[in-house]
Amino acid sequence: MNRKRSLLQNILLTLAILTVLFFCLFPFIQILSTSLKHQFDWGNPSLIPVKFNLQAYKELLGFGESTEGQIPEMVKKLLNNPLITKEQREKILSKYQSTSDVFPFPRFFLNTFLLSASAASVSLALAVFGAYAFSRLRFGGRTIIQRSILFVYMVGGVLLMVPLYQMSVKVGLAKTVWGSLLSLLLIYIIQTLPVSLYMLGNYFRTIPYSIEEAATTDGCSRIESIFIIIIPLSVPMLVTVFVYCFIIAWNEFLFASVFLKQYHNFHTLPLAIQSLFVSKNAIWDRIMAASMLTLVPVVICFLFAMRNLSGGLAEGGVKE
Amino acid sequence: MASVRFKNVNKWFGKIKVLHDINLEIKESEFVVLVGPSGCGKSTTLRLLAGLDDITEGDIYINDKIVNSLEPQHRNIAMVFQNYALYPHKNVQENIVFGLKRAKASKELIKNRLDKASTMLQLQDLLDRKPAQLSGGQRQRVAMGRAIVRDADVFLYDEPLSNLDAKLRSQMRYEIRRIHREYQTTSVYVTHDQVEAMTLGDRVVVMKNGFIEQEGSPMALYLKPKNIFVATFIGAPSMNILDATLYPGYIELENQRMPLDKDRVKKSISSDGEKVKFGIRPDFFQDEQHISGSESLTTLRNVRVDIVEPLGYDRELNLKLGDQILKARLDLRTEAQEGETINLCFDMNRAHVFDIENEKNLTL
Repeated sequence: MNRKRSLLQNILLTLAILTVLFFCLFPFIQILSTSLKHQFDWGNPSLIPVKFNLQAYKELLGFGESTEGQIPEMVKKLLNNPLITKEQREKILSKYQSTSDVFPFPRFFLNTFLLSASAASVSLALAVFGAYAFSRLRFGGRTIIQRSILFVYMVGGVLLMVPLYQMSVKVGLAKTVWGSLLSLLLIYIIQTLPVSLYMLGNYFRTIPYSIEEAATTDGCSRIESIFIIIIPLSVPMLVTVFVYCFIIAWNEFLFASVFLKQYHNFHTLPLAIQSLFVSKNAIWDRIMAASMLTLVPVVICFLFAMRNLSGGLAEGGVKE
Repeated sequence: MASVRFKNVNKWFGKIKVLHDINLEIKESEFVVLVGPSGCGKSTTLRLLAGLDDITEGDIYINDKIVNSLEPQHRNIAMVFQNYALYPHKNVQENIVFGLKRAKASKELIKNRLDKASTMLQLQDLLDRKPAQLSGGQRQRVAMGRAIVRDADVFLYDEPLSNLDAKLRSQMRYEIRRIHREYQTTSVYVTHDQVEAMTLGDRVVVMKNGFIEQEGSPMALYLKPKNIFVATFIGAPSMNILDATLYPGYIELENQRMPLDKDRVKKSISSDGEKVKFGIRPDFFQDEQHISGSESLTTLRNVRVDIVEPLGYDRELNLKLGDQILKARLDLRTEAQEGETINLCFDMNRAHVFDIENEKNLTL
């Protein structure tokens, strides 16, 4: 790149970058904007709300008073009317006490977090040993195993959905809520393992083997050298792989929708938000606020991974 | 301290045989250097001893105990690697005491050893640094420190100086010599540099293509090489190997007859003469003009000076005798100019005659 760009080229390049950026970011801006709008403002194409409304966030995060379950004064007066029969009164009351409209965001958040974190942790733990074996050990069938694992990644989730569900029904896992959760966990692990193995394996190969050999002559067994040498030197990649697995599980909708459909309390966020969309009283600010809050951990994870990706821990140990 | 023995050791990598029937005994506190060109199997031999590679056939003993199937961590060896192989995430101090900590040594012992090693290797001011913050020479010293703090039975050096510049290399050679004098640990040192081999080894083992060509003291190898390979590999500049014809009682080199005691040649020679290779080291030549007194020397006449390389005290002359090229290292008194001819004297007892077929030394 010795050539200097002209002003026009600079402008065109900047425009192109801005276009792409806008294209990528617009949906998120739209989500944020709608989540902050009042109901009367929803149809307004402007991205800046006429009046800021944080009610949806407060409600989702459980701050401030909930409008649900509160009986207006007028209705209270009506209920006090002695002419109303008991059945009628209960009918009116039930309208206001219905919980069908409550969206327990913290609960869904916790569900998703626990499921994603466990899937990512297990996947990472398995990937460390698997990737170590692929990158360091020589054994029969290594290449075949390595390739067949990557093959799993090539098959789309939709194709596997039905057979996997059938399998879990057959072994009796789908019968209970814990069984379904376990199936889902296993699926997330299997779905993320190929790439985890691939990423970690390639990273391990960059760590000079002689460092491990030095550790063994210094008295470490192979397992010990994994924990004492390999893992500390791979922290950036381990974080990246964890984040990758976590995000996959966090955003996953397809399998969750199949396995957890009947267990409302165990819904994950993508599932819960989707059910908000299709519910009778789709409240846009709440849907968008929930989406926004769902994005937060993903963004945090990404920032964290970016900071760690700079890497270079293994530098200086050997003469290149 | 320990003795080491290789008994009929063979090593295959897949279908390629890289070590052929290696038999080698290393006595307690001996410093043995394995030397040879790259691919000769010297590093493999060392790695087999360390346990980093498996033996295909044969046995390796450390202290009369077979260690073939013993993992490296149980062999009580310390190794210095060519690329240093320091732990990048640990600082100098942690690197050095790592092995001691693994062996659960007492804090006091660790401190004593660390102090001694860091003083000896001048690492006191660098103990808190990470390997990435050190220069090549400093890193190599850390690697050395990591080995010497331990009570290892055997020290293994795998070309430890090949990544250093010439000055540092000679300094570290001196350090290694000093370490060995102080600790007297049995050491096996692998290098392709014959200068390191000559200067460091109590005994030098020359290897080629997975075979041991010759072993012995550095001077024995220098003065009495078994074959052309050893003759040319040991010593710098390497031995001149010239085409000659051998007759009973004399040798003819480019039509110059030089007397050679019949009894020195361990082969019956027909009077018709036999084609041989004649070997003489460049260091053994002297300028005829500066010969003092009564030495009984043989003279090689009319050697044309092609190029003169002044090296300070020495002058290295690239010469031509007929069509054959040879070298001579003369001292600074010589005034030979490029293009001139010169008469060179040498002691015939220092010269060797090699068989043209199997390249073996016929004058041992």
